[in-house]
Amino acid sequence: MDWLALARGPLFFLSLAIFVAGIAWRLVGIIRLGAKPSLAAPRSTATASAAARTVFARMLPRPGFHPSATLATINPYVYHLGLAIVAFGYLPHIDFVKRLTGAWWPALPDWLVFLAAGATIVSLAIALLFRLTDPVLKLISRGDDYFTWIVTLLPLITGMVVILEPSGAVHAREAVVYPGPLAIHLLSVELLLVWFPFGKLMHAILFIPGRAQLGMFNERRGVRS
Amino acid sequence: MIDYNVFREFGAAIAHLGETAQKTEIPDEQRVRQAKQVMLSKIDRSMAVDLESCVKCGYCSEACHFFVQTNEPKYVPTRKLDLLRRVYGREVSPLRFVRRLFEAEITADELRQWQELVYDSCTECGRCSMACPMGINIARGVNVMREALAAAGLAPDELAAVAQEQEQRGTVFGVGPKELQAAIAKLRESGLDVPLDKPKADVLVLTTVIDILLFQDALLATVKIMNHLGLNWTFRTGGFEAANFGLLSGMEDLQRQASRKIIDEAITIGAKTVIVPECGHAYPALRWEGAAMAGKPLPFEVLAISEFLGREIKAGRLKVKSAGARKLTYHDACKLGRHGGVLDEPREALRALGVDFRETEPTAEMNWCCGGGAGVFLINRAAGLRQKAFELKQQQIDATGAESVVMSCGSCRLNFMNGQANSRWPVKIESLVELVSDHLSD
Repeated sequence: MDWLALARGPLFFLSLAIFVAGIAWRLVGIIRLGAKPSLAAPRSTATASAAARTVFARMLPRPGFHPSATLATINPYVYHLGLAIVAFGYLPHIDFVKRLTGAWWPALPDWLVFLAAGATIVSLAIALLFRLTDPVLKLISRGDDYFTWIVTLLPLITGMVVILEPSGAVHAREAVVYPGPLAIHLLSVELLLVWFPFGKLMHAILFIPGRAQLGMFNERRGVRS
Repeated sequence: MIDYNVFREFGAAIAHLGETAQKTEIPDEQRVRQAKQVMLSKIDRSMAVDLESCVKCGYCSEACHFFVQTNEPKYVPTRKLDLLRRVYGREVSPLRFVRRLFEAEITADELRQWQELVYDSCTECGRCSMACPMGINIARGVNVMREALAAAGLAPDELAAVAQEQEQRGTVFGVGPKELQAAIAKLRESGLDVPLDKPKADVLVLTTVIDILLFQDALLATVKIMNHLGLNWTFRTGGFEAANFGLLSGMEDLQRQASRKIIDEAITIGAKTVIVPECGHAYPALRWEGAAMAGKPLPFEVLAISEFLGREIKAGRLKVKSAGARKLTYHDACKLGRHGGVLDEPREALRALGVDFRETEPTAEMNWCCGGGAGVFLINRAAGLRQKAFELKQQQIDATGAESVVMSCGSCRLNFMNGQANSRWPVKIESLVELVSDHLSD
């Protein structure tokens, strides 16, 4: 079995299994801890809507804070949106999912995906620069923050290497023209999948219960969050 | 009228407060063990989500008055939970088997280092949680850290001294039932009817050491308003002190003891309502944590005096006359506003007074803390830091152009007065309950 077959087959499924089982393990480990219900009479019982509202509202920066040059608010939007566009909008990625599951959706135009990929790489570089130079970020950063940065960047870089023709042409034929670089790209994605449950990438899931519980906590007290 | 001699005496007493703390020598291993025990007992699902979620974006630093005013990275709020995170990571986390390999045990030296972070430079104001994109309740974690440090014998001497006094003698700054009786006797001399120890009453009114010693006009104002409303109310010598130094110092047993004293008295007299005076932390201590301390829901409602005033005015039961077109602004005490949810009612009261009311920017749940809350006002070594934080508050008030700042928290008021004394700030500092009482309609 060559590297591409390995990366497309057993290694991919292994990484996917670790991804799913790891997330489940971490979530179950948190859920099993239980929680004491609050005995205080609530000022408001509209906690479900407050939870939903907080989950969405915290996607936007809160007005009323001092502006900061280093903790730029735009940069994280760029790489979060950019990663989503590249991962889910690029035609070969959709083809990959379709081959595995049968599910598909319309692709975004190549120019937009390439623009998003370029912007994401620049934006991640800026994020690292902030982390390395801002005294606050330097102090609070841990190995997880840097390793996650590498693991997030790698699929973008290795993906850019295999883009040598329009996605429509890749889509039109079955054969893989660059098996080596594609295998490396897939392996980098698999590394990301494997790392996801163990590091800070879990925030992609934990942001929902985190924001929701604060929204509910504040709502019970009659505080807008 | 505030007696500034008493204010100065109060300041002098605080300067020597730490000397009265009873110190116990605890071996370092025991400190760590006791601190960890508290941390582990407090970690539930909700806190685990908080401890797992931080993405180290640093946004919380922008929300913290201590960081903004000093630019010291060590004060970034999320870092204050690092020891708690490590204990969680090694002992509780689903990934504990792996994390133990990479994360070291906490040490007694780190606990000592964290004293400054969770006591001196944190008022548990909760503003950082408003900025956090992950919704982490950092103030709650800091409170657990305070409890852990207190268990390790590392609460600041000043807070430990007052907590020990409240626990052992049932007094705060020497104020107990006798001092309450004396204060009430003084009020009665002016012809006021002041109910004390009525066996049954609908409303139990609490007071606090600061009102008995210093802000006696606030005590007087409360009495006037309760009488004006014609309520069946009383003070009780067995449970009058609203301040809870168990909560402030991180001593949960004392917190429970202080809360239960009030709860038991309220139940004994069949109170339907308990009114908390102008004392910020006392409100969430009873309103939001009282039931947990009692182990069951409270059979009465708990209202902050500012909440009560706004509610009565809005309902038309309490009528006030105009206070004139004075330029006033309102300072939301963090424990009443962001922690308590008492945001609209004080504004109702101020608007009813017909003043030129000006909101600060930002305001309400986003308001800046004055820097003295959660017992920080009593910590002597934090004086410089506290003053810096207060200067931010000053700027915020000055920007409104108000000639007077109204508040409903005695601790904030003390901190404002102290800051004013340090900087000769011309803005007048007023109490909401006194302002309302001075303008009651006939």
